[in-house]
Amino acid sequence: MKQTLQQVFHSGKFIVGFVIFMALLLLVIIYPLFIKDAPLAIIAQGSFFPPGTYVNIYDSINTTDIYTLNLQDAAANRISSKLSNDDREAMKEWLIGDGVPADQIDTSDTASLLDLWEKNYDPQKNIPGMIFAQKRYYQRLNDSVQGILSTEGEILAALNPETGTLEQIGTVNQSDYVNIDQVANVRVLPLGTDNFGRDVLTELVKAIEVSLEIGFVAGIVATLIGLTLGLLSGYIGGWVDDMIMFVTNLFTVIPSFVLLVLISFSIGQEQRGAVTIAIVIGLTSWVWTTRAVRSQVISLRNRDHVNLSKIAGHSIFHIILNDILPYIASYVVMALILQISSAILAEASLSILGLGPKTSVVPTLGLMMNWAMIYQAEILGKWWAYFPVIVAIALITFSMNLMNTGLDQVFNPALRD
Amino acid sequence: MKRISFVLSVLIVFSMLLAACGTPATTEVPTAAPATSEAPTAAPGTTEAPTVAPTTEVAAEETVLPRNETLYFNGQQWGSVVCWNPYSANCNNAMAIAQQDNARIIMFETPYIYNMLDGNVYPLLADGDYAWNADRTEITFKIKAAAKWSDGTPVTADDVAYTWASHIKYQDNVGVGSQDYIADIVATDPQTVVVKAKLGTDGKAINPLIVQAYLSSNYVMQKAWTQTLEARTGGDPTKFMADTAEDVVFSGPYGKYFADDTKVVYVRNDNYWGQDASMWGKLPAPKYLAHIIYKDNAAGTTALQAGEVDISQQFNANVQDLWLKDQLPISTYLPEPPYGIGASLPTAYFNLGSYGLDQLAIRKAIAIAVDYDTIISNAMTNQSATFVQVPRSLMNPTAGEQALYDSSDPSIKALQFAGKDIEGANKILDDADIKDTNGDGNREYNGQELHYVAVAPNGWSDWQAAIEVVAAAGKEIGIDITSNFPEWSVYQTVITNWPIAEGYDIFMMWSDGAGPTQPWGRINHFMNSAYAQTMNNWNGNWGGYMNPAADELINEIPTLTDAAKIKADYTELVKIYLTDIPSFTLMYRPQSFHTVNESVWTGFPNSSDGSNPPVPPLDCTDGYSIACLYNLTLVN
Repeated sequence: MKQTLQQVFHSGKFIVGFVIFMALLLLVIIYPLFIKDAPLAIIAQGSFFPPGTYVNIYDSINTTDIYTLNLQDAAANRISSKLSNDDREAMKEWLIGDGVPADQIDTSDTASLLDLWEKNYDPQKNIPGMIFAQKRYYQRLNDSVQGILSTEGEILAALNPETGTLEQIGTVNQSDYVNIDQVANVRVLPLGTDNFGRDVLTELVKAIEVSLEIGFVAGIVATLIGLTLGLLSGYIGGWVDDMIMFVTNLFTVIPSFVLLVLISFSIGQEQRGAVTIAIVIGLTSWVWTTRAVRSQVISLRNRDHVNLSKIAGHSIFHIILNDILPYIASYVVMALILQISSAILAEASLSILGLGPKTSVVPTLGLMMNWAMIYQAEILGKWWAYFPVIVAIALITFSMNLMNTGLDQVFNPALRD
Repeated sequence: MKRISFVLSVLIVFSMLLAACGTPATTEVPTAAPATSEAPTAAPGTTEAPTVAPTTEVAAEETVLPRNETLYFNGQQWGSVVCWNPYSANCNNAMAIAQQDNARIIMFETPYIYNMLDGNVYPLLADGDYAWNADRTEITFKIKAAAKWSDGTPVTADDVAYTWASHIKYQDNVGVGSQDYIADIVATDPQTVVVKAKLGTDGKAINPLIVQAYLSSNYVMQKAWTQTLEARTGGDPTKFMADTAEDVVFSGPYGKYFADDTKVVYVRNDNYWGQDASMWGKLPAPKYLAHIIYKDNAAGTTALQAGEVDISQQFNANVQDLWLKDQLPISTYLPEPPYGIGASLPTAYFNLGSYGLDQLAIRKAIAIAVDYDTIISNAMTNQSATFVQVPRSLMNPTAGEQALYDSSDPSIKALQFAGKDIEGANKILDDADIKDTNGDGNREYNGQELHYVAVAPNGWSDWQAAIEVVAAAGKEIGIDITSNFPEWSVYQTVITNWPIAEGYDIFMMWSDGAGPTQPWGRINHFMNSAYAQTMNNWNGNWGGYMNPAADELINEIPTLTDAAKIKADYTELVKIYLTDIPSFTLMYRPQSFHTVNESVWTGFPNSSDGSNPPVPPLDCTDGYSIACLYNLTLVN
């Protein structure tokens, strides 16, 4: 046993796969220990907030520790965030359309450009040839450039409950800074939020866990069924073999995914929990394990040690368990790994069709993809809602396939180096 | 070799991943219209026989439409067109046939057209305003002298009368829906139509509102063509309504050009009567109206981004990204959220037959605990006014309807919940002694655990997301609510047949939008006991709510003419509705999601277009919004 393990861990492919898989497993175990938020809690009001660090504005303004930093490029950064080069060119275009001579417009001189703009721009004016969407663009631009050259701070005011008037309580200067570590509420959303306003990373970790569970349950169900039927049919032979192969052949010709879709649909969404889906997947994917195990067993059953065991009067189950199973154990482990990875893919495919587990109970990788597609994340470029999910699915199946190939190299004499 | 194939496969996997994550190509919008302006296909029928479709079947390869003469739509037509028969309810011809509050009038026309923005009707086939007689039992109106059919013959009062007679004779949807309110429609002379209302025992019209709404909701069909159809179908109602009517004669500006399972195209009738000075004074700008049949919303959005669609009538999530992030020449009616004019009230109904939901405390607790701001910002991506901006009532957010009830009444203000009131909800339940007695975290009513299933049809994404938020609210107040999304075919069968099957405790349904009978029609459908607990109920009140006091008000309002009394009645109805909470509105929804791309055409209606009367944002096809087709110009 020890030697076998040593052999296995000498395979580079196996190690790479194993490390990736363990990293995912550790993430699933460790992350919830530190981040205790409910994975399905709706935290954002609005959909698809981009990844980043969210600093509470209220707390930033009310913090007692205000630092003054006199940075050279602060004003320039502020202006360029509201007035890009494209915006300047667009302003020029409008001004020319309005009749301002082109040589009077200097787009690099912010002050003179804005001065001209303020003097001439009329939000209701129709420039010939300008479409309505452009008119709205200029209205937005006009709003955004209001006061960007100001050097004054913003005044903070509070409502006086007695008089009902606003009273100045402070000023925020342009050179005021807070240290992000000292703000009471800062939330890092490394992968932003999804269409429901849930934290994608927290949800993703939970989804990986659930998908792995589904994979394991489905893989074990499929492998157990396949193994049992394969062993029986291969060893006993005769009419038992005929019967089992008849059923197996029946299932072989029906594409298992079609079967899966039909069964999931007929179960109805009300009953579709993660475990149910896992069992359904398991029940539809045992076929090729049966066939493979059977052929292995057939080649084993006339070996000498098996015949000896027969002569010794051991029961069929004793022979199968002690004289046959150990010889195909490595193969079964490899089959299990492949079954797990294909079950995870099957869940994802089902959920994308809207036939996966119910939405509100647990997240799964497929469900996350499904909702991202429904809310058109891929069209609107909200990559954080679907790309990490794709990567997760790819990593899981990739790591398992690598482990499988590694094992194959070790155990399959034909491939041994 | 194995190494190489391994490396290769890794490369392939990563390149596929990278390809998948690439931002959608910021499509260079084809602002330049196709160079040639000579139409590749001559318009069917030029002068003598104006656009009689059946004789000029257009072959598929000929339907390359000149881009700068074609207005492209999405979100109206799903699946292929079945027929062109305005008497049929199953034509699936969404662009041409929709007899509704804001009737779709590109092909068939109504006597009047409704404008949801100012609440008025304007004459189309009719000449001048209609007039009630002194007893309010008859409406008289004239037909415009200029109005002509596509075969060149004039539209007469006889056509209007014969259309009505056919609705009744063949008992189509219009006939069945109106015969309880309209006694007869007759022509007193070739230009004059009299609509006689059905009278109650008191000698007054049963429902004058529905009678006058008929004039702007229902098409006028040609008598001669109807007779042709009758002769062809031998008077058999089933055959009459199933006829594909490829030879149909119409009065509107567009007729059939081409239809298959990929698209449907309508071509302008250049002899359209509406170019007469008594109507529009000119022809509508686009020569063709085309609707590609898209597979789903995502395909439609992609086409809109690419400038292949000019007017989009579908829910585009985060629509503002199209102009803010993608910098596309796309806009909506309003520049800021909610981007459109809210007209209907998608609502969650309580199944009053479910255990415990007959208890006001439980209904009210659930309704006030729901986080409506999250529904509006996340499920609707802010394409709805919030319940702080427009406090809940039975009215839609338009100014006209809001003015119909007394929103300053303090007793109503006290009832208008804005949601997310977990504390209040818990208190209501505790006070009603509906508590968690066995300590499992879930409340019981009379010893039975409260478990509910909230449902919406599968694939209706904004409704599904809204139902998820409703379910989340249950967990906060100790009532277990799970979500479920059955297929629409199952869903609609279940909720329209009382008693509603188990597993449909809270379910979403639509409401009436804006129209000439609104808000009365909407309230009627929300609350009238006549619809409660019935089979095959496509009207409303699906939860099974019964309140005689509300019925009395609902039946009274259509007969009233005193504005103050009408307002008092509506106010009372709002009070009853918000007190009893038989259902709760989750969001406001525009009549049409009117999003336009100005790559080719410009001049679409918007909130600051200065049009008078204002052109409503209804895709340039419905009711008064057809005026938009006459205002369009090419960008280049």
